[in-house]
Amino acid sequence: MSSLEAVVRELRWSSVRTSAIRYLLHALLAASAWVLAVLLASRLMPIEQVVRIAAYGIPIAFAAVAVAWIATRPRPAQLMRAADLRLGLKERLSTAWERRGLAGPMDGPLRRDALEKAARAKLSAAFPVGARRHEVLLTAAVAVTAIGLILLPNPMDQVLSQRRADRAAQSRAATAVGAAQKKLAAASSPAPVDPQVQKILQDTTAKISTAPDPRTALQAITPAEQQLLQLTDPQTPARASSAQNLANNLAGTNAGKSASQAISASPSQGAQAIRQLASQLQSLSPQDRAELAKALAAAAQQAKDPQMAASLQQASSALQSGDLGAAALALNDVAGQLDSLQQQENTNQEVASAINGLEAARQQLAGQADRDSGTSPSGASASGSPSAAATGTGSGNGNGNGNGTQPGNGNGNGNGTGNGNGSGGTGGQGTQGSGAGQGNAAASTERVYVPGQPVPGQSETDPAPLGPGQDVPLTPYTQVVQAYQQAALDASDQSLIPGSERDLIRAYFSSLGEQPAP
Amino acid sequence: MIAEEPRIDPTRVTELAQSLEAELARLIVGQKELVRDTVIALIAGGHMLLEGVPGLGKTVLVRALGQSLRLSFARIQFTPDLMPADIVGTNVIHEEKGRREFHYQAGPLFANLVLADEINRATPKTQSALLEAMQERTVTVGTQTRPLPVPFFVLATQNPIELEGTYPLPEAQLDRFFFKALVPFPSEAELLEIARRTTGNSLPKLAPVADAEAILAAQEVAREVPIAEHVLAYAGRLIISTHPARTEIDRVRKYVRYGASPRGLQTLVLAGKVRALLEGRYNVAFDDLDAVAHAALRHRIFMQFEAEADEVTSDQIIDEILEKTDKAKAAG
Repeated sequence: MSSLEAVVRELRWSSVRTSAIRYLLHALLAASAWVLAVLLASRLMPIEQVVRIAAYGIPIAFAAVAVAWIATRPRPAQLMRAADLRLGLKERLSTAWERRGLAGPMDGPLRRDALEKAARAKLSAAFPVGARRHEVLLTAAVAVTAIGLILLPNPMDQVLSQRRADRAAQSRAATAVGAAQKKLAAASSPAPVDPQVQKILQDTTAKISTAPDPRTALQAITPAEQQLLQLTDPQTPARASSAQNLANNLAGTNAGKSASQAISASPSQGAQAIRQLASQLQSLSPQDRAELAKALAAAAQQAKDPQMAASLQQASSALQSGDLGAAALALNDVAGQLDSLQQQENTNQEVASAINGLEAARQQLAGQADRDSGTSPSGASASGSPSAAATGTGSGNGNGNGNGTQPGNGNGNGNGTGNGNGSGGTGGQGTQGSGAGQGNAAASTERVYVPGQPVPGQSETDPAPLGPGQDVPLTPYTQVVQAYQQAALDASDQSLIPGSERDLIRAYFSSLGEQPAP
Repeated sequence: MIAEEPRIDPTRVTELAQSLEAELARLIVGQKELVRDTVIALIAGGHMLLEGVPGLGKTVLVRALGQSLRLSFARIQFTPDLMPADIVGTNVIHEEKGRREFHYQAGPLFANLVLADEINRATPKTQSALLEAMQERTVTVGTQTRPLPVPFFVLATQNPIELEGTYPLPEAQLDRFFFKALVPFPSEAELLEIARRTTGNSLPKLAPVADAEAILAAQEVAREVPIAEHVLAYAGRLIISTHPARTEIDRVRKYVRYGASPRGLQTLVLAGKVRALLEGRYNVAFDDLDAVAHAALRHRIFMQFEAEADEVTSDQIIDEILEKTDKAKAAG
């Protein structure tokens, strides 16, 4: 050995080699411990992207250990001291290294003695290569445990998949509302309330998107629908009915036939036709005037809108008295009311479209909320054939349910939406529901959907008169009670419903069936 | 950088010690540790307290040392009636040509090697006179202070039994001894060898292997032996560990009344240096400190009464301190 520096170099290389193996083991231990901790945590709480989190920790663990390795690398004096102790060099190297810059009377002999002894010793033996047994065992134990946890099923996976399904359902619901919003924005003749409708839909979309779960998101829809309904005029049905009665009465007159057709086509066309009729009163024959006055009087009598009734009555009276100017003036009032009706119908149509969008969102969220509640068992298949047709305002909703025939019981829901124009479109076909179960999934659910199975005799294309402002048509309950009863009894067959409760349900529907039809 | 050369070759010190030990071994049977400690104390320039029952060769050892070193030798038998003047000397009236004047008559302390036999039998006053001379290496009689010859090496003995009528050395006085060596009873084989050597007509005649000058040079060289910082720190930790208030060793806290003084550290380091030279090394190792720890510290650790009751000795305490003081920790 030529110099103490050469000794240090050799010791350093040996130390680096040994510590690298030891620190590599530490890094493996740290990485395994990290993965194990993440896996354990993922079993206690739902954690998204467990694999990614675990994977990110591995290089970080290696980097941290590498930094520790570099930071704790021994100084030359430490190397010499360790070599002295491990090789039995009696502190020769460390003393010589410590005094390498000094020139005392003993330093020369000391240095020679130290180098001589170092040359005889196997310096690499000061830092033997190898890992500590307990560290290897600990690392192996942690790694095996981590692998075991990876292979075993994680109960939190179901929670995560439900959470993902929740987010997807909320996203679809928000998309549905957003689509309705875009459609309204793209309309050629926006209603006066369009900005308010847009605002309501926008707020609802935001609430659905940010809601923690579909059930909470559902709570945003009903208030939005109520806000939308407040934008409509409750007098519109009466005015529309009055306009239709006017059209019907005018259809029987020579002078008012064209006006009748125009009113039937649309209130705005009707208004134009009535104004034209008012301007042509002078040219009508007395017989036509009398006929027209009679029709107007009849329409006035049938009109549910008092304002229109007054105008029609005024026009009829003026015609009968020969005051053509007053009659024209009254007819112009009627035309103005028809224009107003047109605007109201536009508003109602826009509100209806918005509500349809919200209903589509509701179906998405409700389905997922039901699945979250555990009401959607799996196994058997069920199919539904929902349908709805829209007429008048051109929008419609459909619902369908099916029952599984496989062993076990299952229920499925299908929803469909559709929009039409003019004479109305056909409602969308509901998607086929699916569901089944092992017969024990009728856990408590907050929302119970009464299945909307097609009533016998009611075809899918039956028009559903859901025009804006019109009441939802009622179906005699005698036509639906059997389907409802069947659905309720099917649901009650779920094992979680006690037998006494099933009897109660059966008794309830039996008592309904005994009552005379209204 | 030109290294300063030692005044004498360090190997000469090793050779001197080895030849001295070999020469003593011709007369002293066994007792290698005792001989080694004696040589270390001699080269370190310290004084030594030998404790052992009578007849174990303490006096023979000192006498043999005097013969081997060509040094003046004096033996003082300490008794209760021994006065300080009996050892340091006194002024006596001297008459010459009809004229009387005081003349200083040196005591037996004026020798290179002094055997203070059964030191604990003298009164504290006389003990103090000796110990002061040991510390100051001078004696003061009247108004005059006279230096003692160099090298000046006192070997005091005391008997651990028959303590009635003795004056045990106080702690402060004990601290002045460099080493306290226990003279063990020889083994059976050694006993037989003693009998063979000492019951014949002729006793071995020892040849001097060094003189005062060589001893002084060796003392100087010994102090040049370097000690690394971490080894020195280890020595410091050993001393700290003897103090009940500062140690983490339970038995020290329980049984030790006072720990070793800073002079104990000085002794430990200096003795370690000499031992390193005797081992043919030019630096102090942990082993050197461990080897001299008992002799250097056993008389500097003062035990509680509980220790006596539980038959715990200072040597046992030192063993535990050595065992529990981590050298690897000191090495960093």
